[in-house]
Amino acid sequence: MSPESLSALFLSVRVAAVATFLNALIGIPLAWVLARRRFWGRSFLDLAVTLPLVLPPTVTGYYLIVVLGRRGWLGAPLHALTGWTVAFTWYAAVIAATVMALPLLVRTARAAIEAVDRDLEKAAYTLGRSEWRTALEVTLPLARNGILAGLVLAFGRALGEFGATLMLAGNIPGRTTTVPLAIYTAVQTGETEEAVLLVAALTALSCVVLILAGRLGARAT
Amino acid sequence: MSSRIEVALVKRLPGFTLDAVWSAGEEVVVLFGPSGAGKTLTLQCFAGLVDPDSGKIVVNGRTFFDSDRGMNLPPQARRLGYVFQGYALFPHLTVAENVAFGLRSLPRTRRIVRTGETLERLGISELARRYPHELSGGQQQRVALGRALAVDPEILLLDEPLSALDAPTRRQLRSDLMSVIREWGKTAVLVTHDLAEAFQIADRLVVYQNGRVVQTAPKGEILQRPATKDVARLMGIRNILQGSVVKATPDLIQLRWRDELLEAANSPTLAYTGSPGTPITFCIRPEYIRLIRKDRSEPTPGTHPNLLRGELIGEEDQGPVQTLYLRLDASGEPSQGAHDLEIDVPRQVYEILEISRDRRWAVFVNRGSIQVLPGV
Repeated sequence: MSPESLSALFLSVRVAAVATFLNALIGIPLAWVLARRRFWGRSFLDLAVTLPLVLPPTVTGYYLIVVLGRRGWLGAPLHALTGWTVAFTWYAAVIAATVMALPLLVRTARAAIEAVDRDLEKAAYTLGRSEWRTALEVTLPLARNGILAGLVLAFGRALGEFGATLMLAGNIPGRTTTVPLAIYTAVQTGETEEAVLLVAALTALSCVVLILAGRLGARAT
Repeated sequence: MSSRIEVALVKRLPGFTLDAVWSAGEEVVVLFGPSGAGKTLTLQCFAGLVDPDSGKIVVNGRTFFDSDRGMNLPPQARRLGYVFQGYALFPHLTVAENVAFGLRSLPRTRRIVRTGETLERLGISELARRYPHELSGGQQQRVALGRALAVDPEILLLDEPLSALDAPTRRQLRSDLMSVIREWGKTAVLVTHDLAEAFQIADRLVVYQNGRVVQTAPKGEILQRPATKDVARLMGIRNILQGSVVKATPDLIQLRWRDELLEAANSPTLAYTGSPGTPITFCIRPEYIRLIRKDRSEPTPGTHPNLLRGELIGEEDQGPVQTLYLRLDASGEPSQGAHDLEIDVPRQVYEILEISRDRRWAVFVNRGSIQVLPGV
């Protein structure tokens, strides 16, 4: 494998790992809130989180540019303040992967949380636990396998992310060229051997991810 | 120590309204009624797990909820023990961890001691390290009781604590449960739709029907003086009949029913004084109606009071007893649909008298077995 391909592989794993971590941070509380609370704007939040699952990744990427690009809603003030922009950096790849993976985690984790018997939570309340402590001590531990399965799926999705990454992060070798982008480039430039190696590596990784998710999912019920 | 409980609740749900008012001062209060009558909802309002639309819940002068004063104590602050239907044990925690769950505010050593004491008092110390799924239904119930009692609650709420068990275990555990409640000396509010359970356990019965409390009284009184026909029916009373008074004296009530003249015993406790012509509701328990053997001398009103004749128009096999449906020879509409009386006979009697072949019977009822329901 060429040094470029190897660097793409490492970059992909790093991006996916960080994106999965961010997913856990944002997605688990989000899943709990969607599963257990009724509040104004709940269905809108649900829609916003799920949308990247059905939209073409390029459309999601376009929205990310609208928000985070140099002239974006958040990107413009950021650029004015610091002279720095997130677009076409390693961070952009992480953000794109995070947003694309989030619905997979949220949907899986939410289903697992909803499957937890509400009487168990009520029992915890009568035994003096606050809603917050009950979530930490009862609901999330019991939904653990479902949440882990969601995280594994999110990792897999982040690993294979292409369209949104290309839109926001571009295809800069060594900086934002993840494995899917490297495969595309290799095929375009006729480096078939490199493409085959990367395809094999990504397929193997994804298989591991799916097997893991399947096992965790089976144990969740 | 029993607690004084006052409850007044209104809770509107789609297709169902709970509007329940009752109070109690006894040790064991049973909320009894058919499924879907609002008993569990009452218990959940009691515990603060569901907010009533309006009303008031006061226990020993402590207000849990009062819509007029805008008071609503969160469930965490009510100091209740709640035993859920199906027990709701935490499946990811051991028995000891389940029992210790409510003791988090105690220092570690005291928490361990209290958990150990609770397990011991309930006789489940050897289960401490097991997980709920490794326990039998009865053991799970003990753990649920232990978890609720460990926090030393002011009051214990139990939602159908025996319904998750199969019939033979249930009978045994019913008396076990009773002794735990009595021994701990807590006021308990228990929900059940099982009549036998209600009667064995209750000091006071609160009878629910369609979201309303139809009667609240010490259990003995409810059987003697059900407030309505519905209550009488819920209490398992059969053959609830409607007649009119002919004459009432201090020791005898004569009444007319279906063209027949019946005599029921009056007593100083009942002291029934209806004037002639007044409608009167009475009941005859199906096992107190006696079939007259045909191989004996012809029955007379002297030897056989309240003598009635009729035809069996149906029967139902209840296992140890056979329920017969008798239609009287008297003219006019039968009083209970197609039949006038339900009669329970033991299976042995049913076979000896060859009732399956012979459908015409004379029956009699002792005066003391006709119970007048004055409240109805």
